[in-house]
Amino acid sequence: MFSYVIRRILQSIPILFVVITLVFVIVRVLPGDPAVAALGDYASKEAVEALREKMGLHAPLWLQYLHFLGNICQGDLGASAITGYPVGAQVLKVLPHTLELTFFGIFLGYFLGIPPGILSAIKRNTFIDYFCRIFSLLGLSVPAFYLGILLILLLSVQFPLFPVVGAGDFSNPADNFRHLFLPGLTLGLLMTAYITRMTRSSILNIIREDYVRTAYAKGLLDRVVLFKHVLRNAMIPIVALGGLYAVVLIGSSVMVEIVFSRPGLGKLMVGAIKQRDYVTFQSVMVIYAIMVVLLNLLIDLIYSMIDPRIKYR
Amino acid sequence: MRMWSGMVFLSVLAIFSLGFTASAQEKLADKQVLTVAFDAGDAQSLDPHRAATTVDRSTLDMIFNGLVRYPIGNQVGIEPDLAESWKLSADGKTYSFNLRKGVFFHPFPGNPEGYELTSEDVVFSLKRAAAADTSAYAGEYRGLDFKAVDPYKIEITMEKPISETLFMSKVANYAGGFIVSKKAIESQGTDWFKTHPVGTGPFKFESYEPQQKTVLAQNPKYFRGKPILEQVVVRYVPNVSSRELGLRTGELQVIEGVKEDKWVEKVSAFPEVKVKSFGPCEVQTLFFNMSLKPFDDVRVRKAFSYAVSRDEVAAFMGKGIAVPIYAAALAPPAPGALTREEAQAAGVLYENDIAKAKQLLAEAGYPNGIQFEAITSELDSSYRKPMIALQAQVKKAGIDMQVKVVDHASFHSLIRKDASPVVYYACWRPNLDVFLTRFYHSDSSVMTGKSPDTNFSHYGTPEAVKGGQSGNIDALIEQARWELNPEKQNELWKKAQIAVLKDVAVVPVVRQLYVFPMKTYVELGYPLEFSWQTYSPQINEKTRILAH
Repeated sequence: MFSYVIRRILQSIPILFVVITLVFVIVRVLPGDPAVAALGDYASKEAVEALREKMGLHAPLWLQYLHFLGNICQGDLGASAITGYPVGAQVLKVLPHTLELTFFGIFLGYFLGIPPGILSAIKRNTFIDYFCRIFSLLGLSVPAFYLGILLILLLSVQFPLFPVVGAGDFSNPADNFRHLFLPGLTLGLLMTAYITRMTRSSILNIIREDYVRTAYAKGLLDRVVLFKHVLRNAMIPIVALGGLYAVVLIGSSVMVEIVFSRPGLGKLMVGAIKQRDYVTFQSVMVIYAIMVVLLNLLIDLIYSMIDPRIKYR
Repeated sequence: MRMWSGMVFLSVLAIFSLGFTASAQEKLADKQVLTVAFDAGDAQSLDPHRAATTVDRSTLDMIFNGLVRYPIGNQVGIEPDLAESWKLSADGKTYSFNLRKGVFFHPFPGNPEGYELTSEDVVFSLKRAAAADTSAYAGEYRGLDFKAVDPYKIEITMEKPISETLFMSKVANYAGGFIVSKKAIESQGTDWFKTHPVGTGPFKFESYEPQQKTVLAQNPKYFRGKPILEQVVVRYVPNVSSRELGLRTGELQVIEGVKEDKWVEKVSAFPEVKVKSFGPCEVQTLFFNMSLKPFDDVRVRKAFSYAVSRDEVAAFMGKGIAVPIYAAALAPPAPGALTREEAQAAGVLYENDIAKAKQLLAEAGYPNGIQFEAITSELDSSYRKPMIALQAQVKKAGIDMQVKVVDHASFHSLIRKDASPVVYYACWRPNLDVFLTRFYHSDSSVMTGKSPDTNFSHYGTPEAVKGGQSGNIDALIEQARWELNPEKQNELWKKAQIAVLKDVAVVPVVRQLYVFPMKTYVELGYPLEFSWQTYSPQINEKTRILAH
């Protein structure tokens, strides 16, 4: 198992390499001068030239690329081209916010998504089933930012229960949770829609299996059949595919971070693109790529844990 | 008995009326913390000699002072700030400033009580603002020499004398004129200073959380008096809906608005909200690239101008939000800006005449009109919307202007490569000399000038002259720059603008007002009419929150 993990990690290095190179090229192909973006169009020409020199933009492209690769390998994410703050420090500061948002969103996704899915499956083709399916279709269709604003209108303005902006302090868990709830709920509801449908179809598939029919024939209670036999087997694809959706959720978290003005990796990245802050953008993309790779690895490992038929060597 | 009840009645009346007068006085809220939200993702730089964005300038305005300052709220003329008085030498080349005594810098590591500002700090700061590797505004300070005569007196010597207007803008409380702490930078280093500004202003820097907020605490030692506000929180909220909703719930008390009248209407209806709109905001001007067909022909340019209706554009963008302008540089009340009456008197007011536009196009050899593609920025209120309005207007005269929208950073880089035959540009510059130099001096011509800047029309260059008559105002600009008499200087600047408009190198369109909705219980402490230093309502020691 351990060797499997190591092998997977090594296999992801070429993927990361391709991502980094693509990012490097794309950002430099875009029109837009980071020095002008940094100083504003009012700055004098001497200042702009001086900053371009400092940013190393006069060096040939291949040299900049090697520089960049060398730094990444040493774990040095560089300093922001615009502000001069070290990117590594900035990322570390905002990463916990993004991680807690993403994981809370995933958790809510499962927590709110599985029960309606089960209900929908066992009460197939009844009103409850139709209701849940339409509801989940709405959830799949609504964009993240719209849902976020709706939730704010309802739960911050109409009924002042939660704050509108910011992220709260980690040192104050209650306050932090209050700030986390609405953005987490937004992401969670998006995932709920997906999970509900997945759960429903997965359970319906399992219920048709022979061993389930046998269990009923044995005279077991409906409840026992459902929770002991059906659900356990249905969970496998739900976890696996849900985990893949989690990767999509990382993308949606960017929108949520912007709507709620939460600090986070997504907001950092969007800001970097707008300002042509090459260094920050490249480094944040590297972090994202690593996150996606690790998440996929985690999903596969969880998969193997819950399905005893799967063994990794 | 009757006497007793009479006395009781009188005393009740007395208490009642006392209470009445007490409530007529202003009552302050218990919590004097003001939260201001800007349309920004994060702070870009907290170094005053580098800061360029609205939110950073607004933040630093509360932390630093300059030798002189523009009066808060109307910003016309100058008044003492860190300097109490000043004098110009007989030869007109040296200004000597007498510094205020008892001005303390904010505390920083190693100096928990701060320390008194002296001429050493002022000279250090001005030299730092003049160096290209530490300051974005170094170009402003070329040809100036700084000397500390004694601890409370400094001298600034100019290589060549310039007018008071131009000189004072370099040492005012803006950009390079902000005075920074020498001891803080020397003891803690420039990198530390980038994220820990140390100044002399009413508020001192307390903390910065990336992408979230910057917190400023009151400076009890401020030389104009202890501020009423205990804390100012500057929040970075790039999403307008979030700012709106935050204002509604009271989480945010002042927000950067959207320059659109429908939005203003909506927000004014929120409970306890008043909307402050004030000038002068950026001027929006359309530049023709005079070196390219068909805009090398003055008749085509005139035709375009005649097809434009400024009032219509202003109405489209929001009445009360946009105002037509007629100056080829900054708009009034900037000294030297051309007014509508002056433009009309000089015969350079071309607008509102579709028939004339068509006739001119035909004369120029385009009876069926012309077609071209212009590039504009995605920013709605200053670029996209006005371009859409202009597109519709000039279409009526047979000018088919296709508009390609790109993101803002790309726009700025593309127009500097002559990628668009017309350039609609929104900006502000501190005075007419800077504006005229950067936009109309032949040296500033995009791509072809000696030091390319923002002369998008290529005005004054050989390639712009070939297609027809066109002038060159280089000499006029330079003459105005060195003119010491302010009235004569303004006259020269107006002459320059009239020359540019006679050649129809540009069409001045509108200027907008800034919109800052705020809670009714926020009292700024001064009447707000103009705020071009920070593009936002300035916050000072008198700003306070009323009881609510």
